[in-house]
Amino acid sequence: MHHNENPYRPIEAKVLEVRTETPTIKTIKFKPVEPISFETGQFVEITIPGLGEAPFTPSSRPDVKDTMEVTVMKVGKVTEKVHELKVGDTIGVRGPFGNGYPMDHFKGKELLIVGGGCGLAPIRSLVYEVFSRLGDFKKVFYRGGCKTPSEFLYKKEIDGWIAKKDINIKLTVDKGEEGWDGNVGVVTTILDGIDMDFSQGIAVVCGPPIAMKFSTQKLLSLGFKDENIYLSMEKNMSCGIGKCGHCRIGTYYACKDGPVFTYDKIKNFHEIWA
Amino acid sequence: MQFISKANLFKLLDALRADYDVYVPVKKGKQRFYKKYERPTDDITIGEVRAFEPLKAFFSFAREVVAKGFKPDVPGADRKPFAIVGVKACDLKGFKIQDHVFKNHDYKDPFYIKNREQNLIITSDCTLAIETCFCTALGIKPHPQENFDINLSETRGGFVAEAGSEKGRALTKKHASLFQEARSGIDEDVAERRDRVVKEVENNVKENDVPHQDLYKGMVEKKFESDIWEDEAKACVECGACNTICPTCHCFLLYDQKDKGKMERLRMWDSCMIKDFARVAGGANPRAKLQQRLRNRFEKKFDYFPNVAETYACTGCGRCISACPAKIDIRKVLKRLVGNAS
Repeated sequence: MHHNENPYRPIEAKVLEVRTETPTIKTIKFKPVEPISFETGQFVEITIPGLGEAPFTPSSRPDVKDTMEVTVMKVGKVTEKVHELKVGDTIGVRGPFGNGYPMDHFKGKELLIVGGGCGLAPIRSLVYEVFSRLGDFKKVFYRGGCKTPSEFLYKKEIDGWIAKKDINIKLTVDKGEEGWDGNVGVVTTILDGIDMDFSQGIAVVCGPPIAMKFSTQKLLSLGFKDENIYLSMEKNMSCGIGKCGHCRIGTYYACKDGPVFTYDKIKNFHEIWA
Repeated sequence: MQFISKANLFKLLDALRADYDVYVPVKKGKQRFYKKYERPTDDITIGEVRAFEPLKAFFSFAREVVAKGFKPDVPGADRKPFAIVGVKACDLKGFKIQDHVFKNHDYKDPFYIKNREQNLIITSDCTLAIETCFCTALGIKPHPQENFDINLSETRGGFVAEAGSEKGRALTKKHASLFQEARSGIDEDVAERRDRVVKEVENNVKENDVPHQDLYKGMVEKKFESDIWEDEAKACVECGACNTICPTCHCFLLYDQKDKGKMERLRMWDSCMIKDFARVAGGANPRAKLQQRLRNRFEKKFDYFPNVAETYACTGCGRCISACPAKIDIRKVLKRLVGNAS
């Protein structure tokens, strides 16, 4: 956690850029008055002054320390206001909180990244981290899904990633549109035929709960070990330091013990996918 | 062994007012409530049994400002500490949970820690049990044995006073003239009264058939799919009284408000019985059903806390029993959880 005598006060930040990704999703770039560094997979609480705060996993490069980006879907009262932000506006930020992806532990391994919907936000950050340390991994695969082609986040960036060929990328949509010649079907339909040793591989999964559930089941059937499946759990994180009680998963709090958990840690708990 | 007369205790409280906001239990009708002490009054009730309010109210407040704008300082740092008098043994058990959450575990909460360091805790023996008392089932005796600054054991004309901390010892030394050497035989009087109250609580436990905590291990998990939850939740009106009144419940809601351009962040006690407690912005709710939330309440107290803090998050104070408008009785739920029937 960032050094902060009072763990509940936000650090002031200025909005530098607002990008519309899809009709319901925007990316906000901001600069905190005190630099905040984070590890990919950790989350921050963004404050709309006077209204409240909400948790987001930064979608930006962890190696950029003075600015940060969050990609936000309009779903509630805070995110609605986030969508109204303009360049120069003041927001607040607390964090980062919790545990991100243990990148050093992934060294020398084959890596499969599975993500969909707004789950692409943390994965964008992870992909940039992967690009910055490509030599660390034997192979990297990315399998991404979305409802429709027009709802694909970071479409241009992903086209760039595909062109670079450093990562083996395959995408799918639940429902095709004109001009889409890729796979149609949920993300589990593109998890077959990946050329890696599943029993030794690392899988990173991020997305809506239902997609996480079925992806995990599919990965297990392919031969991934419980302890090698990294799940980014979406719970009602608020205080960020394991006190307010809202994000409990079994004996853990998603905010301080997660949000990234390996499947073995949480598989015996109730209500994990809800 | 030191003795303080009732008159001298009030002199001590008068003296404490220089450094503390002093709170004492006063009796109103059949209940005892904490009230700010200003002068000796007849309704002040040091002994008897626990107050209506949980002790946590003096350590993490029902509602407090936790941040002002972007300023890094901790609001309320200059507030006078509290001296809380007449705290009971069950109240002290609440510290095991509150300390774990706010003080001892991972991240520290500066608000709680300040109160914990600065507040003065003057406990007292229970001199009677009320119908809802079942502390002995949780392994607690109705007289404080540790974690107090000064404990008062009521006896004829006053109290046997025991200092239990450096702070308590310093105070009894500073005000030595108010204390006197206890007359011989007084410890037998206290021991006899303590035994009598223990028996009163044990009788309660027996009459209500409350299982002892030695039988709680794994009970929630074993009955996770049982119809106990639906059955018990039927009458629940989701008022959250059981949470706010509970000495171990610690959950809070952070919320922001803006007044005349000034931005403040507050926290307020929250209730896991309320529908949106665990709901995420996207709409997913792991505990959309009331029975799931009731089960979660018991899971947190009797499964989570023994796992992370090696203690059940219940003090046997019985506050939730009297507070619940639906008459959900924790003693009955415990009995059903431990029992063989589903």
